[in-house]
Amino acid sequence: MKGSYEIIIRNNRIQYKFTIYRNITILRGDSATGKTTLIEMVDAYNKDGAESGIEVLCKKRCVVLERGNWMRDLKDISDSIVFIDEGNGFVKSVDFSEMVKNSNNYYVIATRDSLFNLPYSIREVYGVRNKSGNRYQGTKRIYSEFYPLFNAEVLLSRPDKIIVDNEEAGKVLFD
Amino acid sequence: MLNIFYGDMPEAIYNTSLYFNNTYFDSWLMDEFAQKMIRSIDKATVLSGQAVDSKALGVIPATKISGGLKTLLLIYNQPQKIFNASTCGDNCAKWILRIAKKLNTDITINLRHIMDFGDGQFEIRILNNDKIVHNMSELVVYAGEFL
Repeated sequence: MKGSYEIIIRNNRIQYKFTIYRNITILRGDSATGKTTLIEMVDAYNKDGAESGIEVLCKKRCVVLERGNWMRDLKDISDSIVFIDEGNGFVKSVDFSEMVKNSNNYYVIATRDSLFNLPYSIREVYGVRNKSGNRYQGTKRIYSEFYPLFNAEVLLSRPDKIIVDNEEAGKVLFD
Repeated sequence: MLNIFYGDMPEAIYNTSLYFNNTYFDSWLMDEFAQKMIRSIDKATVLSGQAVDSKALGVIPATKISGGLKTLLLIYNQPQKIFNASTCGDNCAKWILRIAKKLNTDITINLRHIMDFGDGQFEIRILNNDKIVHNMSELVVYAGEFL
């Protein structure tokens, strides 16, 4: 997969609308902002389709990957956007990073753990926030979006020098 | 005092949401201090030992409260156990400090990221190197090397 993908996930009470730009997106931020609810909605839609009452609008298939048989399950997933919730410790493993590297999926991972094995951009670390709300047929509906957690202005600054541990530093990562 | 072990800790309970769903008691939600946490984090009021009325989601079972709040309730009610508190956002940090103060006993949590405990003073022991830190500047210096 290449490029960016807009995703809308909604039911009658909540709507998420966001765009993912790279193959790895990290979700962090405060508790109780709706990260797990988002992933549960993707999972419900993936299992029951339109019968779930949930709409998922995206050019690519959205699926949820969970612990247990994650390795076997991931082997069968391609050309998809894979959502992974907190509590799935396998995201830190070398096996997972190898499978990510060799797959053509995009991944949206909710975790605050340090993922040393995964090369992700600091620009693709987001929180979730409520943008607005209204009444939809007498029922309160919340609209949520992703927002970048790190200050883009800081990222735009150019350092005069970068200290690395040796001249080969980063070679493996960027090769 | 609040003790923190940074990094992987096999004896800590990692998936706190799952653990909460299968171990919580109704009485946990009826506690006055717990209800303050529930109002603060999930913007929810407790209806019974099994349900809350959340501002965002309406009436939901206790098993659907946020992951961070579940971890706070576990730390508060089972201080003898060690939980992965990296399931908590920074909005839970002040409540972790308050739980440690209220329980008046040593509690230990496991963190896999630098949680922001705010601008104030506190007393936290970093178990990895047995250093006691009193503010975020000290904490970052001494905890950073273990993450």
